[in-house]
Amino acid sequence: MDRRTFLKASGAASLLAPTLIREALAAGEQPLVAVAEGTDYPAITRKAINALGGMKRFVKAGDVVVVKPNMGWDRSSELAANTHPQVVRAVVEECLAAGAKKVKVFDYTCNDSRRCYVNSGIEGALKGMKNVECKQIEPERFRKVTLNGRFLKEWELYDEALTANVYINVPVAKHHGLSKLTLGLKNIMGIMGGNRGYIHRSLDVALADVNAHFKSHLTIIDATRILTAHGPQGGNIADVKVLNKVIASVDVVAADAFATTLFGLKPADIPVTVAAHKRGLGEMDLGKIRVVKV
Amino acid sequence: MKRTPARISQLIFLALFLILFVRTEYRGRDEINAAVNAFFRVDPLVLFSYLLAAKSWTWLLLPAVLMTLSTLALGRFFCGWICPLGTILDLLTSRIRKTAPIRALKGNTKYWLLLPLLSASLFNLNLSGLLDPIAILLRALTFLLHPLMGLTAREGWVALYRLIGERRDALAPAYNLIRNTLLPFRDTIYPLALLSAVILLAVIASERFETRNWCRNLCPLGTLLGWLGRFSIFKRLPTGLCADCGACRELCPTSFDQGRLDKGECVLCMECLNGCPQGRVSFRPTLTWKEAGPLLPERRVLLGGMAAGVLLAIPARFRAPEQVSRLLRPPGVRSEDEFLKRCVRCGECMKVCLKSALYPAAWQAGIEGFYTPLLIPRLGYCEYNCTLCGQVCPTGAIPVLAVETKRREVIGKAVFDKNYCLPFARKIDCIVCEEHCPIPEKAIRSRETTVIGLDGVSKTVKEPYLVEEICNGCGICENVCPLETKAGIEVFAVKNRSPISQISAEPSADPYSAQ
Repeated sequence: MDRRTFLKASGAASLLAPTLIREALAAGEQPLVAVAEGTDYPAITRKAINALGGMKRFVKAGDVVVVKPNMGWDRSSELAANTHPQVVRAVVEECLAAGAKKVKVFDYTCNDSRRCYVNSGIEGALKGMKNVECKQIEPERFRKVTLNGRFLKEWELYDEALTANVYINVPVAKHHGLSKLTLGLKNIMGIMGGNRGYIHRSLDVALADVNAHFKSHLTIIDATRILTAHGPQGGNIADVKVLNKVIASVDVVAADAFATTLFGLKPADIPVTVAAHKRGLGEMDLGKIRVVKV
Repeated sequence: MKRTPARISQLIFLALFLILFVRTEYRGRDEINAAVNAFFRVDPLVLFSYLLAAKSWTWLLLPAVLMTLSTLALGRFFCGWICPLGTILDLLTSRIRKTAPIRALKGNTKYWLLLPLLSASLFNLNLSGLLDPIAILLRALTFLLHPLMGLTAREGWVALYRLIGERRDALAPAYNLIRNTLLPFRDTIYPLALLSAVILLAVIASERFETRNWCRNLCPLGTLLGWLGRFSIFKRLPTGLCADCGACRELCPTSFDQGRLDKGECVLCMECLNGCPQGRVSFRPTLTWKEAGPLLPERRVLLGGMAAGVLLAIPARFRAPEQVSRLLRPPGVRSEDEFLKRCVRCGECMKVCLKSALYPAAWQAGIEGFYTPLLIPRLGYCEYNCTLCGQVCPTGAIPVLAVETKRREVIGKAVFDKNYCLPFARKIDCIVCEEHCPIPEKAIRSRETTVIGLDGVSKTVKEPYLVEEICNGCGICENVCPLETKAGIEVFAVKNRSPISQISAEPSADPYSAQ
């Protein structure tokens, strides 16, 4: 996107934003889910953010922001196993424009971290940006945190996420063999250390435990292309469906609930969403969610 | 060290060796265009043992042929101008006080090492890498010294974090620079690390008896080069020690034991030429083979050496059957026998392995497999898109493969152990293995099954199963299995390692999907 379209888009959005927020407030507690569509991925990412009131609503000048994409797999971006690099970059740029002192982008990868960072395209997309860090996980930074959850009493979480002022959750929407889909609620696993395989025996409860303790301030789901089968890492382009959508919400459960519909599923089909909703972490009833298409 | 051309060349090649060594690592690119394997590819000992054992030709070793020819023409210059181990000895020897040479090592000892190695190669036991000087150096560096360096740096870096926390970030650029250029990414501690370092230290410590003790009395590569070099066109004048001086005996690092310069021992360092107080020494091209001495060592040594090789080759083949089932070789190795004939045991594949999946075999592969690479899935798995081990293998024992081909090469096949695997043994969901299986169509799949839980209540769990036809045995399933006891899925070696079929995207191609 060139600067002109960016200015136009953000100008239009900033004019619209106050009305949208007012409307959202008028609707009471109804959570807002913004869905932007288009082939210019940075532009739709910005549109979605602006539809929620712009990044300034979340990021204050001087803040340290963590932007947490999926980049856990050694797969190139068209295979939809990792968040699209252009979406990540647009989110990072918005954070910087809102005055962030530092933006940290990382994931605790499943494949070799060096290959994941390179092949996801995310490290490359952020290269040379000032005040942006795209570091691999340093194990010494995991810190045992008391969760007092129903399944997890305590777990190791990454201190860069814990100490950040703002945590922005930027998952890609994809299929998952156990949890059916992996979206915002599951993306939190990237800040979890330890034997992560252990939590699979009660994945929905465990993820609700972590999300209850550690809240995403903003969830931006990359549905520019989604992985419909053989998730979470896929590898076959035939399993990828291009949707050209970016979804944003303050309510991670609502964002997940809406994204579920893109797969032809209902939020109630996804145990993680249900568990989080029951725990009071957000709204999953599509009737009670306000969807704004931009 | 004086600045003679030989010395400068030695230092350049040592530097080159070390640079290539640290470059033998994934540094953000799928290809490594220059690796330390270059040193093995010019190594005539590797060439000869390969030709004898594999009884076939590989273009990878063309540089070693050139080295053989140039040694025939010029002499044993490799030892005095190139060999990094020789250079290290030359750098250290002045600091080691000398006693007297060991008499037992003189004479034919070196042939008793070289000949059995070569004759064993002919009988399919290629152990020359065990005593190859470059392999000795490389293994000590790879298995102990480099990881130790990495470990020290990382422990220091972690300690700094415990001390000053976030403020450590200010130093991060410096640390990252060192880490990205010099240090190993993973500071894996390997089995046989200590042994590898002790062997190198023993070679260095043997300088205590005389200069280049290893090179002149033991090194099989040096012996081979010396044997080739005795036909060289260079003749040193005078051939022996001068009656009025005898300084050559002190100046020469490798010869003059018998008061004369043995062509097979001369490493062409030119120390005698540069150091001669009278300026009498010269090296002249001549075309006489008269002084080359006998073509072969004495018959007793020759036959004895050959026989020793045969005797070594046969009992070394013993392998315990229960170990064989877990002998997982790097990707692309289809035949264990062909692999053993070609593997130099240099350790490069283990160094470069992205996930530290490869380890030197200590006892697992029998004597004949000592130091050969083994994939140990519980410690690391073969990364689906990585082809580095084949790229750095000096002899093609691990073939160079395009990534599409490599993904289909079979290392082994995974097998579930239902006594351990959670959905079977404890009736709870898991499928971490399925999630990690890199095959796009999933060699591990699961089906929802109604079972009686351990509490007696009926429930559904996802039970995994293997689609053996498309399992390439990469080992990630065993690696990530969350069980702390033993893995609920394990990879076993298979004899038929023909590549997995072109994977069909059609679900109907799943032989198990009918139900």
